[in-house]
Amino acid sequence: MLHNSLYIHIPFCVRKCRYCDFNSIVSESKKIGRYLHAIEKELSVLNGRYVFNTVYIGGGTPSILTEVQLEKLLHSVIRYIPSSEIQEYTVEANPGTLTVNKIGLLKEYMVNRISLGVQSFQDSQLKYLGRIHSSNDAGNAFVSLRKAGFKNINVDLIFGSPEQSLDDWEKDLKTVVELGPDHISTYALTYEEGTSLTRDLEDASIHKLDEYVELEMYKTSIRYLTSNGYNHYEISNFAKYGYECAHNHAYWKNIGYVGIGAGAYSFIDGVRTSNEKDVFKYIDGINENKNVISFREKLELNQFASETVVMALRLRQGISNTDFYERFGYTIEDQFGEQMNRLAKYGLVSYENERLKLTEKGLFVADTVMTEFI
Amino acid sequence: MSTGSIRNFCIIAHIDHGKSTLADRLLEKTHTITSREFRNQMLDDMDLERERGITIKASAVALKLVREGKEYNLNLIDTPGHVDFSYEVSRSLGACEGALLLVDASQGVEAQTVANAYLAMELNLAIIPVISKIDLPNSRPDDVLNEMEKTLGIAPEEALMVSAKTGKGIDEIFDAVIKRIPPPKGNPNAPLRSLIFDSIYDEYRGVVVYLRVFDGSVKVGDEIYMMKTNSSFKVEEVGIFKPKMVVKASLSAGEVGYCIANIKSLHDVKVGDTVTHNRDRTAEALPGYRPPMAMVYCGIYPTNNADFHLLREALERLSLNDSSFTFEPETSQALGFGFRCGFLGLLHMEIVQERLERESNINIVQTAPNVTYEILKINKEIIKVDNPEKVPPVGEIEEFREPMVRASFILPTEYLGAIMQLAEGRRGRYKSTEYLSEKRAILIYELPLAEIIFDFFDKMKSATRGYGTLDYDFIGYETADLVKLDIFVASKRVDALSTIVHRKDADIKGRKLVKKLKNEISRHLFEVVLQAAIGSRIIARESIRPIAKNVTAKCYGGDITRKRKLLEKQKEGKKRMKSIGNVEIPQKAFLSVLSVDE
Repeated sequence: MLHNSLYIHIPFCVRKCRYCDFNSIVSESKKIGRYLHAIEKELSVLNGRYVFNTVYIGGGTPSILTEVQLEKLLHSVIRYIPSSEIQEYTVEANPGTLTVNKIGLLKEYMVNRISLGVQSFQDSQLKYLGRIHSSNDAGNAFVSLRKAGFKNINVDLIFGSPEQSLDDWEKDLKTVVELGPDHISTYALTYEEGTSLTRDLEDASIHKLDEYVELEMYKTSIRYLTSNGYNHYEISNFAKYGYECAHNHAYWKNIGYVGIGAGAYSFIDGVRTSNEKDVFKYIDGINENKNVISFREKLELNQFASETVVMALRLRQGISNTDFYERFGYTIEDQFGEQMNRLAKYGLVSYENERLKLTEKGLFVADTVMTEFI
Repeated sequence: MSTGSIRNFCIIAHIDHGKSTLADRLLEKTHTITSREFRNQMLDDMDLERERGITIKASAVALKLVREGKEYNLNLIDTPGHVDFSYEVSRSLGACEGALLLVDASQGVEAQTVANAYLAMELNLAIIPVISKIDLPNSRPDDVLNEMEKTLGIAPEEALMVSAKTGKGIDEIFDAVIKRIPPPKGNPNAPLRSLIFDSIYDEYRGVVVYLRVFDGSVKVGDEIYMMKTNSSFKVEEVGIFKPKMVVKASLSAGEVGYCIANIKSLHDVKVGDTVTHNRDRTAEALPGYRPPMAMVYCGIYPTNNADFHLLREALERLSLNDSSFTFEPETSQALGFGFRCGFLGLLHMEIVQERLERESNINIVQTAPNVTYEILKINKEIIKVDNPEKVPPVGEIEEFREPMVRASFILPTEYLGAIMQLAEGRRGRYKSTEYLSEKRAILIYELPLAEIIFDFFDKMKSATRGYGTLDYDFIGYETADLVKLDIFVASKRVDALSTIVHRKDADIKGRKLVKKLKNEISRHLFEVVLQAAIGSRIIARESIRPIAKNVTAKCYGGDITRKRKLLEKQKEGKKRMKSIGNVEIPQKAFLSVLSVDE
């Protein structure tokens, strides 16, 4: 199996967004320094063990690092990961913390893809979501990135927040298309456990957007972005031809990846592990040369296969029976024939030319469909 | 052994009045169990009983007591205290000459106290009134003595004051048992005449018969004959309970113990039957008992039809230990193959269901409980209906009859209004109020049994802040204007959701029921229409709107395990649902007909 994707987690933020349940903390610079040291140490252990085709530095907010810190991080990567093999090297950035100098560093250290957390082009929305940047910041950051020569930029957008109208969302879509990034992710706002957004929902100070309005927003995204040259290749992802995110395919195809940093997940030979989530315990563990793995699961073959189908159904191209057979030694129908027939009858999945995929109808209720493959 | 040293007695009490604790103390004081063996509430040997703090099966234990240099053999026979198990109380009483009537010093006389005390009086048992829990700060023994005098005609000076917790008064109980309860009469030389007052099934030894010997004696090797079932067995072992089984050479007149005789099934033994010697039979059988009557029925179905045989085996195992539980195979269009099960009451039903889930690994769907109705058909045939599905077409019914009970509530007078309102709302017929004191009263209503088997007990408890108690007796069948209420899910009639209701309540119940179902059934990929109907008339309609969007927006490395586990959980939940047409109906929905009031 290929282990060609490396993920590095930077769990620091200026402040926690209202909807965010990612592993992130608000922290001062000194602690970031210690963390980066631990990252370097964890990377050094990988030295030579794997060849990576994609590297993804995510967060948190990687762009929160000072120029010195950022350089240290980028340097650690280049030092331990053979750069000649890296085809896609992404760093996530927040328009509020990205500076011209940081952009210069990214470019210098061969980062070739930037994922910009824009979320919305409307300041009222940004404020509602608890973002630290303005709509102008986003536009400026984008222009600076292009100026610096970044040819592969993703813009993240969020839709479906309680105070957003379909009209608001259409404006965001229009703005993003005018800006013209190479890749766009549109995420429906999710109420994750433990976030301040969910607490507000629970004490009824906010109310969820009507499901039908949210559906209409989603349908509009697909229609509008597709008609403007973006291929809808995954549930929430759109890309210009050739700009699909290579790194994330490792997750959707359920193939191996290595995660570095606090709370990062790795998946190697059917074994999934995650590092200690607590940033300080993680740092201490690494410094004391301890095993920092806090979670480990080995998937049974059937479970592995079922998870693989579920993840692959996120991709609009679905999953090929040939690939499935090569990996698991039996056909999709052997394990899921009954479900496939039933769901096909309802028009939720299709199975043509040896490919199982969600239909458009199935796409909107993907979770319900996926339950059948568990 | 002479019968002069034997005393057979039981403890009768309302639930929670401290019966099990008192029994523990009596065992401890007589060194029947060592402190190492001592577990609180020794007599309740089923886990479930201990958890629920109630005694389900009668048990017996032999205590040895020395008083003034003389050795006595006391047999304590335990009784259940809950309203559903009055049948079991009566059979314990039949094996005794006396009873300790236990009343909580703060709670006072309660409904089951009265019911059980009357049972004991009818059987001419010597009654020793005992006021328990006198150590508690809110105890009011004088009031309680007054209540006992008023309700049961018991003179206050007869009563003993006891705290089983501190041990105060326990010695006085022993003295009273010896002095006030007569030793058993009976002729040890006459032909064997003994009463089966209980039986349990032991996996290794077969049926263990609980015996009270009235005349004669029984020993290993004897060929015994059971007079009602007309069957004979060879005795393999006799003994007494201390409280574990201890082998003895024989059991003779006046004694209480057990007998093992290679009996394979509980169904071969009739509790209340008279056991005698096969060769030398007694001329006259003991009076015995009225058989237990199943009052409440429900359907129990495997969620997965393939588990039908497993379910049957599980029910058979349960009935081995509980002869008052009955089951018969039945078929439901909605639920497939299952069983119609009969219970003494709602608590009994809950216990059986819990045990079923605990002891077997089968997902089950249980339908709403119902009572047994009587229908007089146009052709003058009378049929019993224990399942709404068996109600004949309206045109064939001349008279619909339902079982009625006489319910007595004992409660603080301030709650009289609340309980009267509750009873009137359940088609109750007021009979009388009698004051026990300034503060407490007995309220009597006649109620349809169907109206009290659901949530009535809980409602009564909350309306009286826990102070009210209830006991009821079946008094007969009565004509009523009843109709069958049907439920349609996605245009399919779901037989398992049908109920029998009073015509005047039908519209409201129908409307509430579909509303309730709307909340119980989760949304599907299509619209689900719910309807309530009487005959062909639709009286209520609700619809569950379809899922429009259900898709996780983000799923990357760290989300995958969590996502899979979430889907696994959803799938597990689905397994416990019954699929009718394309609609997944959770177990809870089948019971929602129970509590449409909320």
